[in-house]
Amino acid sequence: MKIEFWGQEFQVNMVVGCIGGFLIAIMSSMFGFGGGPFMVPLMTVALRLPMYLVVGSSLLAIFFNTSVSTMRHYQFGNFDLYFFLAMFPAAILGGYIAPQIAKRVSPLVVKRIACLGLVLLALNLLGVY
Amino acid sequence: MKKKAGMMPWLFAAMVVLLGVNTAISEETGAQAPPQAAAAMAAPTIVLDKAELNNGGSIKVSGQAPAGKPVFLEVWADDHAVRANRFDKDVDKETGKRPYIFYLTQDMPAYYKTFVPKELQPKIDEAKKKGKKWSYSELLKDLGADVAYAVPAKAKIERYQSTLMASVVGSRGTLLDAMDDKENKKRSMQLVKARFQSIDKVVAAAVDVKPDGSYTADIKIREGLAPGKYKIVAVVDKKVKSEPATFDNKIAFPLVYLENAGTSLNIFYPFFLSLGVAIFGVLMGAGGGFIMNPLLLALFPALPHTIVAGTVTPTVLFSQGSGIYNYSKIKFINWKLGCGIGCAMLLGGFIGPKLTEMITLDQFKFAFGWILLILAALMLWQTTPGYLAKNKKEQSILKEFKKRAEETAKGKN
Repeated sequence: MKIEFWGQEFQVNMVVGCIGGFLIAIMSSMFGFGGGPFMVPLMTVALRLPMYLVVGSSLLAIFFNTSVSTMRHYQFGNFDLYFFLAMFPAAILGGYIAPQIAKRVSPLVVKRIACLGLVLLALNLLGVY
Repeated sequence: MKKKAGMMPWLFAAMVVLLGVNTAISEETGAQAPPQAAAAMAAPTIVLDKAELNNGGSIKVSGQAPAGKPVFLEVWADDHAVRANRFDKDVDKETGKRPYIFYLTQDMPAYYKTFVPKELQPKIDEAKKKGKKWSYSELLKDLGADVAYAVPAKAKIERYQSTLMASVVGSRGTLLDAMDDKENKKRSMQLVKARFQSIDKVVAAAVDVKPDGSYTADIKIREGLAPGKYKIVAVVDKKVKSEPATFDNKIAFPLVYLENAGTSLNIFYPFFLSLGVAIFGVLMGAGGGFIMNPLLLALFPALPHTIVAGTVTPTVLFSQGSGIYNYSKIKFINWKLGCGIGCAMLLGGFIGPKLTEMITLDQFKFAFGWILLILAALMLWQTTPGYLAKNKKEQSILKEFKKRAEETAKGKN
């Protein structure tokens, strides 16, 4: 499929994109996260698209997934209103505070901390400790 | 089917008798003539030392039961029920086939626990050695506590025959006929395990029975449970039960009872946790969902994984929405690409939540653990020098394009 973005044309392999997107969607909706950290590498590495095209469009693709899975989770009775009300304002607030801090910290350091944190969390879930 | 139909009146009669006996004994009307064995044994008495607890605590139960008999205490939350589900895919011993049946009930008490005589502690310890493969029904039988198992057995259980096709279209499958009482009881035991997970949550050895039949028990009600009325019944035999004694579990703000999760939680914990994760997520350039979920699971083991996944998802949804809005203002989204892949993701998102409720907490943790490890590897790769050099170029192009886009957007206004 050919797409045009800011005056440039890109050739996108939609078969790979759709299969990858489908699998990522199952996984992310099953475990209740967005899926961005998987979608961006899929689109940049597997589809060879430039970062500036990917940032917005991957978000849009994920949004489809998240809205449907929200609906489905609600339908299955997996949604808890008070719990949501406790987290939701905090998430919004975080979105405002973060850009203020972002100027002062290096994204590289954040990523490395995140890396460590993820490994620790993963080992916890796997019951290693 | 014919056989079943023929049995129905009998089942109905049995149910009436079973239900009737509970009340008959407590009221001691004798009108329904309890069986002779039961009539010979006086129903135990039960006294509580307090009628109110504040977010859990310890309560002293005492009473008099027939001498020489073990006394079991069945305790349950009477005001709040939760959902319990289990996907049966274990090979049937008789037919050798996998049943693939999905069991679901909405009537599981938010709290259910059996307290057994103290001397049975070794048997509980033995069951714990089996690890996660312990069987609730075997444990109850071992302890002799199956006579005290009554409340969840009455829960209305729905069962669905699942097929691969049904899973693909994201349905639970066909609703099967209701089960008879015996089958319902058996399945309800599996659901108790599916819901409460660990042995400590469903049984404890706490009852001290004296040779003369008097008993005392210090039962501990843990923190973070459902508020409202709880009931305790002292059970000696299937038909020899005390009247239910009632106590009230009070919780106050900032503790809030989460109706679907079946637990009470200090509402500030998820708030601050979510705040921290959201900030960190933005700094990292990714939504916080995949940190939030495992963190919640690790910190609040009482929360069911389905609720965690189902409630974090809408939280993530809104931050995505605002992100899309911001990008679309500067026309930084390719709608054709986004919608194209989005359609594929739509299908995936339809199926995923169904799978969440089919897997157990342990499977959930296992799979999520590996996903996180993969993610960590991806992140690590993004901090390697080779990637950074490439990324620097990309980022500068990104910035340039963004600037151009912003200027164009401004120009139009």
